Amino acid sequence: MSDQFTNEPMLDMYIFETSQLIEQLEQSILSSEKESCFTPAAINEIFRIMHTIKGSSAIMMFHNISTLAHTMEDMFYFLREEKPQKVDCSSLSDFVLDGVDFIKVEVEKIKNGDEPDGDATILIENLNLFLSNLKKENEIADSGKKEKNIPKKPQQYYISQEKVPVTEYKYRFRARIYFEEGCEMENIRAYTILHNIKDYTEEFYTIPEDVIDADDSAEIIRQDGFSVYFKTNHTYEQMNEFFQQTIFLKSLELVSLETEEEYGEYKAKKRDTIRDSLVKEISSGYVSVSGKETDKVSHSSAVQNIISVSVAKLDKLMDIVGEMVIAEAMVTQNPDLQGLVLDNFQKAAGQLNKITSELQDTVMSIRMVPLSPTFQKMHRIVRDMCKQLNKEVDLKIIGEETEVDKNIIEHISDPLMHLVRNALDHGIEPSEERRQAGKDKTGTVILEAKNSGSDVLIIVQDDGKGLDREKILKKARENNLLYKKEEDMAEQEIFNMILAPGFSTKESVSEFSGRGVGMDVVNRNIETIGGTLSVNSISGKGTTITLAIPLTLAIIDGMNIKVGRSSYTIPTISIKESLRPDEKDIIIDPEGNEMLMIRGQCFPILRLHESYKVETAVTQFKEGIMIVVEQDGRTICIFADELLGQQQVVVKSLPVYIQKMRKIKGLAGCTLLGDGSISLILDVAGLVNF
Amino acid sequence: MKKVLIVDDAAFMRLTIKELLGKIDSIEFEEAKNGIEAVSKYIETKPDVVTMDITMPDMTGLEALKLIRKADPQAKVVMVSAMGQESMVKEAVLNGARTFIVKPFKEEHVIGTIKKLLEI
Repeated sequence: MSDQFTNEPMLDMYIFETSQLIEQLEQSILSSEKESCFTPAAINEIFRIMHTIKGSSAIMMFHNISTLAHTMEDMFYFLREEKPQKVDCSSLSDFVLDGVDFIKVEVEKIKNGDEPDGDATILIENLNLFLSNLKKENEIADSGKKEKNIPKKPQQYYISQEKVPVTEYKYRFRARIYFEEGCEMENIRAYTILHNIKDYTEEFYTIPEDVIDADDSAEIIRQDGFSVYFKTNHTYEQMNEFFQQTIFLKSLELVSLETEEEYGEYKAKKRDTIRDSLVKEISSGYVSVSGKETDKVSHSSAVQNIISVSVAKLDKLMDIVGEMVIAEAMVTQNPDLQGLVLDNFQKAAGQLNKITSELQDTVMSIRMVPLSPTFQKMHRIVRDMCKQLNKEVDLKIIGEETEVDKNIIEHISDPLMHLVRNALDHGIEPSEERRQAGKDKTGTVILEAKNSGSDVLIIVQDDGKGLDREKILKKARENNLLYKKEEDMAEQEIFNMILAPGFSTKESVSEFSGRGVGMDVVNRNIETIGGTLSVNSISGKGTTITLAIPLTLAIIDGMNIKVGRSSYTIPTISIKESLRPDEKDIIIDPEGNEMLMIRGQCFPILRLHESYKVETAVTQFKEGIMIVVEQDGRTICIFADELLGQQQVVVKSLPVYIQKMRKIKGLAGCTLLGDGSISLILDVAGLVNF
Repeated sequence: MKKVLIVDDAAFMRLTIKELLGKIDSIEFEEAKNGIEAVSKYIETKPDVVTMDITMPDMTGLEALKLIRKADPQAKVVMVSAMGQESMVKEAVLNGARTFIVKPFKEEHVIGTIKKLLEI
C-alpha cells in the first residue's frame, strides 16, 4: 500500500465504498441481463463504477484490482462510445460478474488485513480477447460510419487557413517549457498553454507541432520539452509572467528572437497546424459531451442523510441502555423506599420509566436493517443456477423492506441461500416437464418477508413439483427415521421429516444443493437464532417453506428459574412444559441415570444443582420443579428449585475473562434481572448434550 | 482562510484529496458529490479553488465546469482526471479549466497545484 495514504479512515472508506459500488454493479448487470441487454444508462453506470474503483484502487496501490477495473472500464467505454450492434450479452455478463467476484474476494482480503494478492491476469486476458473480438465483429458494420467522419478534418483546415489574420507584431519570442516529472498528460498541459496564449498572440507555432493527435507527443515533451515560437505585442516581462503561471512548470527558457529568420527556423515545413486544429476544436468544442448523459436514472438522493456507524458501537449502546433500564428499576423499586409516601418521587419515576423504555425501543430500531440486500443477493444465485441447470426461473421478491436485527441477518443469509437453491434444483421442473404438466414454462420462486407479531416471517415458495410423499416415506424407512406408524402420520409430519438429520431424497448430488448439507442444517441454523421452520407442499403445485424468526437476538423471552441462591434463564421457545413429577414416574437405569416417564416416553433428567455444583436444600423431585425442554429433536428434563416467572431479558455475552478461564458447558450468556442480580442464560442445545 | 470545493462522486476520493490538502495551513473544505451539487455549492460558498472530478452521475464535471465558469468567469477549477481521459481534459481546458491533476496523484503535485492557484 502506498505510504502517503496509509491511514485507517481512508482504508475503511475504500473498503466501504468499493463494496457498495460492487454490489451496485452486480445489481445493474443482473437487471440488464433480465432486459436481455445493456441499456445505455446501464453501460454508463457500469463504466462510471469501474472508473471510480480503478481510481481508488490505484491510489491505495491495489494494482491487481485497479488493472482489472481498468480493463472493464475500457470494455464499457467501447460499448458506450461505439455502440456496437453485435454483443454477446450473456458472456459479457459472465465476464463482468467474474470480475466482480474477483474484486469482492480481494476486498474481503483487504478487510481482513491481508494483502490482496489475487491474480487477475486470466480474467484480463479473457476480457481483452472479448473486446478485440467485439471490435473485429463490429468493424464491418462500423466502417461506413467512420468514413463519413474523415473528410471533415481537411475541410476545417482550408477554412481556417484562409482566415489567418494578418497582424503586425512588435516582438518575437521562443519559449521552451519542461513540465514536472510524473505530472502526466504533458501534451494536454502544452495544449493548455496554447489555449491560454491566445490572449497574447494569434501567430505562433510549436515543437512538437501536433500536441494532441500525435501519439508520442507526451513522450517527446517529457524528453525534449515543449517549445513555442510566437510573435506578440506584449513585453518580455509580461510573457514571462504568463508562462510562470503554468502549473507543474519545472523550468522555463524564454528567449527574445531578433530576426524573422530566427523565428522561422523550424517553421519551414508546415504552417500553424496546431493553431488550425485549435480553431477547429474551439468552434466545435462547446457542443459535444452534453446530451449523451441525459437518459440516466438518478437514485443518488436516497443515500443522503444517512451515516454509517460500526456495529460494535451500536452493541455498546444497546448494552448501556439495557443496563440503564435495570438501574432505573433498581432505583424506583428500591427496598429502602418501601412503605414511604413519595408522591413527587413516584411522578418523577414514572416519567423516567417512560423515557427509558422509549430509549430502549429507539436503540432497538437503530439496529434494524432491511432484508433487501440479503434478498437481492438471491438474484445472482438464481441467475447462475438457471444457466447451469438450463431452467427458466423468475424470482419474485416481496416485502424486502421488512426490517430485522443486524445480527439476525447474518444468520439467515446462508439458510436462505440454501432454500432458494433447493427450490430451483429440486422444486422447479425443467421447461419441458413443466410444459407437459400444463404449467408456464418459466418457473416462479417467490421470496417474501412480512412482520407477524414479534416475529418476521420469511417465505420461500416455488411452483414446482412439490414434495414427493412416497419418496420421503421410503427414505425415512431406509434410514430408520420413522417415529410412529406411517398410517398415523399427518401430511405435515411427513413433510417435516425432511428436516430430520441425515435425510436427503435426492439420489444424485448436483453442484448447487446437496453438498452434504441438508435441510437439517438449515433447520438447526434457524433454531439457533430462536426461529422455527415449517414445510408445506402440494403435489404438482409447489412447496412453501416458512421461516419464523425473532426480530432480534438481543432480547429474548425467558423463563427465570431458581437453584439455591442462583438464578438461571431458559429461552421460553425451547420449553415444552413444566411439571412436578410423581415419584412413580421416576426411573433409574442400571447405570444410575435418572429418567422421567411422561405419557409413556422416557426423558433423561438433568439436575442443575449437580451440573453446576450449586448448594441447595431442594434435592427431592417432589419439592422442586421439572422443566421439559427440547432442542434439535432431543428432549431433557431440567430439575430446578422453583420457577421465578417469565420476562423479556436482554442477552449479554459472558465476560471475556470467564470465557477465557474455562469453557462452561450449556451457558449461552447472562442477563441482569430487575433486582440487579445476575441470571445465567442456559443454552438448551448445549444442555441436551451435557 | 482559503476555501476549496472538492467535487467527486466517490467519498473515498473526496477523503483522499482532503487528507492531502489538509497539510496546507488555513484551508477549509466544501464538498459536492455531483455536478449539480457542485454548481449550487459554488454559487453558495464562492470557493477559491474547485477540484472537479470528470466522471460523475447526474451531471459530469465538464458540464458543471461550464456552468460554474458561466456564473463566475474567474472561477479556478482544477480537473481531476485519470489516464485515458485526454480528450475530456482537453475539452475541459477549452472550457476554462485552469489545469488538471492525474490520478493516481502524487502528494506534492496536488499540494503544489492548489497552492499555486491559491497564490500561497
